[in-house]
Amino acid sequence: MAVVAEVAPVVANTRNRNGRRDVHTSRQARIGWMFSTPALIFVGMVTIFPIVFSVALSLSNVSVTGSGFALQGFTFSNYSQLVHSSTWRYALGFTVIYTVVTVLVELVLGTAIALALERLTKGRGLMMALLLLPWSIITVISAELWQYIYEGTYGVLQAIFQALGLGAPVFLGSPTSAVVSMMVADVWKTTPFVAVIVIAGLVMLPGDVYEAAACDGASAWTIFWKITLPLLRPTIAIAVLFRILQAFGVFDLPFVLTGGGPGTATTSLAILSYKVMFQNIDYGPGAAVAVSATLLVVLGCLAFLRVFKAQVGREEIQ
Amino acid sequence: MKFHSRTGWRKWINLLNLAVVIIVLFVMLPIYWLVASSFKTPVNVGAQPPQYFPNPISFANYNSAFVHYGFGRYFLNSVIVTVASTMLVLSIGSLAGYALGRLPMRGKSPLLVTLLIISVFPEIAVVSPLYLLMHQIGWLGSYEALIVPYTAFNLPFAIWIMRNYFLGIPREMEETGRIDGASPLRTYWSIILPQSLPGIFTAGVFTFTACWTEFLMALTLDNSNNYRTIPVGIALFGSPNVVPYGTIFAASVVAVVPIGILVFVFRKFVVSGLTSGAVKG
Repeated sequence: MAVVAEVAPVVANTRNRNGRRDVHTSRQARIGWMFSTPALIFVGMVTIFPIVFSVALSLSNVSVTGSGFALQGFTFSNYSQLVHSSTWRYALGFTVIYTVVTVLVELVLGTAIALALERLTKGRGLMMALLLLPWSIITVISAELWQYIYEGTYGVLQAIFQALGLGAPVFLGSPTSAVVSMMVADVWKTTPFVAVIVIAGLVMLPGDVYEAAACDGASAWTIFWKITLPLLRPTIAIAVLFRILQAFGVFDLPFVLTGGGPGTATTSLAILSYKVMFQNIDYGPGAAVAVSATLLVVLGCLAFLRVFKAQVGREEIQ
Repeated sequence: MKFHSRTGWRKWINLLNLAVVIIVLFVMLPIYWLVASSFKTPVNVGAQPPQYFPNPISFANYNSAFVHYGFGRYFLNSVIVTVASTMLVLSIGSLAGYALGRLPMRGKSPLLVTLLIISVFPEIAVVSPLYLLMHQIGWLGSYEALIVPYTAFNLPFAIWIMRNYFLGIPREMEETGRIDGASPLRTYWSIILPQSLPGIFTAGVFTFTACWTEFLMALTLDNSNNYRTIPVGIALFGSPNVVPYGTIFAASVVAVVPIGILVFVFRKFVVSGLTSGAVKG
């Protein structure tokens, strides 16, 4: 996802080419449109149209009829219903906290792992492959696996806690512990992914800066804070954006691991939207939940990019 | 970080090894548990205390996954949907990536930005309208119900990745083709494509992984038993009261193998795809 780096060069590029447009150029442009049309049709039909449709659903009274459904009238009632619903507010709070906590933990752990592994001279490729394994595992599978690990009577974690004399903990049974358990499962699956991104960023850093710092007698700690971290910012921005987007839309993990429970403890916005739409068959409010989640995550990412750019300036990002 | 001082190297190496071992254990232990449990007998899967090594080693769970739960069908469905979507994404996407990267089209930067924004939309925002639309045109419970959305959702990122590679090919190569009188399609096919294989691999691995692991759309659009893909099949194994973990893990091991091999073989391309945004430009 080239959000940060790629936008500006595109603009520069087109401007150069537009400087002189002749017969040849406009023929080339026609071919360009011909080449891109199939992709644009696919993307337009299956993404843009449904998103517009989703917004329309969320702003109408939708009634389910025998042959399908009907949209009647324009209304904000679906949204006012949301704002007044404690379930939605809880889901929003849970999704935000889940996103912030997991992304922060994964970023810190992932960077630490990357720093350790980057010093490996042998076997780095193998380590990367091992780290990518959890990333490539189907989330449903990792959710089933963690459910088995957390199981209350014969789960392996239960046995380990008891062997260590730590009593009989509850993992998925109580609201708070279910939230924490879900976060642990997510950290397991995604930290390696963050680590791989950071390692790839570390490898690109210029070596001479480090030689200079070593000559000046800088400590490893200083080097990390004053050199490595600032140079890594673009890489970290990419990793964080990737993760915010995934974490905010979290669905598969709670759906299988906890079913959104106990109660509504692990009901994310996506789970709530799914339940309202496909279990209560209530399309208007369900679409409103989905649209609100989409708006919030896009705004969140824009805010992140803004803060991030304000801190480092555009040149450094590119 | 690169350290060139030699003092304390030995100690560092030992600490480093320790760190590596801990990391690998944290990552690998749950995966070991998945594989080991799949080889336990169905009774021993629920043994208390848990069996740390399967004894006796049993294939009963694999048998149950394929014979009783029809996992073979789900596997086949996943292969059909994933391969078809990946092929479509690569063929349509590389043409568009070439056009958007190399050809002088007006308004291509707003287009590229739009594609980027679309690629970050949460799936949940489109699932219900897609469900209603497919209900209307009678696509629910078919391969195209997944292939078309998977293609559309993976196209934007694939186009970006491939476009980045196309940008790096020297212009002179295209010029030679044009002087020789080759058509644009021919230039693209015989000059551009062979030069950008790494980009195509990267886009391919990402698309394949995304389609193989996708759950929400598969759950809502293709929930009939005949068209279920692996993630949905595994999530719906058993009944609300009984979770057949052994069967689930046997099926999981079979599901992890293709993607594990793919990621292992193409790991360089995965890494380059993950960082292409950060290091380019």
